Amino acid sequence: MPMAADDFDFVRGSGLIDELHSRGKVIGEQIVDAALLGEHAADAHYVLEHPRLPFVSYPYEWSFSALKAAALLHLDIQQAALKKGVTMTDATAYNIQFIGPRPVFIDSLSFRRYQEGEYWAGHRQFCEQFINPLLLRSFNGIPHNAWYRGELEGISAENLSRLLPWRSRLSWNVLTNVFMQARLQNNSGSDDAIRKAKTRKLPRIGFEQILHGLRKWITRLEPGHDGKTVWQDYATDNSYADDEAVNKRRFIAEFSSAVKPALILDIGCNTGDYSIAALENGAELAVGFDFDHGALEYGYRRAVSDGLNFQPLHLDAANPSPNQGWMQAERMGFRERANADAVMGLALIHHLAIAKNLPLAGVIEWLVDMAPHGVLEFVPKNDAMVQRLLQMREDLFSDYDQANFEEQLNSRARIVKSEVVSASGRVLYWFDRH
Amino acid sequence: MLGAQTVRVFLVVLGCTVLAAPSHAYLDPGTGSIILQSILAGIAVAMGILRFYWYRLKAFFSGTTLESEAADSKDSEIQNDI
Repeated sequence: MPMAADDFDFVRGSGLIDELHSRGKVIGEQIVDAALLGEHAADAHYVLEHPRLPFVSYPYEWSFSALKAAALLHLDIQQAALKKGVTMTDATAYNIQFIGPRPVFIDSLSFRRYQEGEYWAGHRQFCEQFINPLLLRSFNGIPHNAWYRGELEGISAENLSRLLPWRSRLSWNVLTNVFMQARLQNNSGSDDAIRKAKTRKLPRIGFEQILHGLRKWITRLEPGHDGKTVWQDYATDNSYADDEAVNKRRFIAEFSSAVKPALILDIGCNTGDYSIAALENGAELAVGFDFDHGALEYGYRRAVSDGLNFQPLHLDAANPSPNQGWMQAERMGFRERANADAVMGLALIHHLAIAKNLPLAGVIEWLVDMAPHGVLEFVPKNDAMVQRLLQMREDLFSDYDQANFEEQLNSRARIVKSEVVSASGRVLYWFDRH
Repeated sequence: MLGAQTVRVFLVVLGCTVLAAPSHAYLDPGTGSIILQSILAGIAVAMGILRFYWYRLKAFFSGTTLESEAADSKDSEIQNDI
């Protein structure tokens, strides 16, 4: 029997996967007839079928708290596994996906039989892909997303140790997992050191203690330089009750109850107010995108605390996630994944067309391409927000007006309904793509 | 009883340094990570020993039996943070 199949049988026999699945921690799986895959599965011992994920996202798109939730899930699973004599072959963050704000582990083949005395093979990877990106934000106030997107394997202890402030060494966990690990790694390249490392053993109680200590530590990590007061600002700053917001929510409610999207994308979601309006009126899952890390963080916390099926992700609309990794096919770009039943682009297009100098026609095309139905907002030049964008620069945007907006939208979609939602003349358009 | 537990703990520490483990790594764990894990595990076990003696000392001064203290502390010993 192949080694992987042997491990598979052992792990399933331990009851671990059923237990974790019943607690929502790992994705469902079912052994199906290998003939379904034809010659692709000619040598396969088992063929597994998983439920399809509604949307695939990557750690470089997650907020701090989402990455933290994924880290804690990984530790929970490794801890539960160890109790059943199972360990994990790796600790990559890409093995975790989100359904709404809930992380779920998706790699069935990451489990194998634990051998007494063996090391935690994934420790270094866990540090690079979970802990170090969290520490960058926690101690330096720098969001992990841009670095992580450039370095798909995460952040090395060596690089991070050059950046962390001196006071971070006062934390035993930082001192050991970052500074000591970086130093040991640097000093351990010799054959002798490698031979010695290979002969060491880690007692199970030590393994358990390491996992327990990390879990306790990570639970306490918070984003630095934008602590709780800012989240409260997001909560109190929103103009949820003013007329414009009420009109917009009513419009989204009507749209959502007519279209009933299984998946709606909310481009420029801010903290998720209009995603929530869609979810309360027939949408099953909303995936939001925003540039503002604070808004994403607040949105994620809100989705968790209010039990909303909402996942906010980081996106720079002017430079979305590309196709990357091995053969540039390992991690799909935003465009390849952005296919939904509906799309919203509220208070967004003026930022792209004016602040980012992007052509209006291109911006509308980009949004309409994402879904057969959607709602877009036009913000006129006399609106205070556009005036603010134009305050420090010359107005080069002669084609930015409502007539051109409608013409561009009409050439790609049928306008089902439009409504003026603010005194400044902001207009919402409900469209059906041609 | 003290002897048996201490011996067990020391055997674990010893095992940590001298016995050979089979290597079948899917991923390069990194020598730095392995050395670090052995240090962390060593500290965890050492703290377990210290904790054991602490309870023994407490038991001596409070007059309770070591068995009841040890039973009470068993869970917290396992959960001890490192």
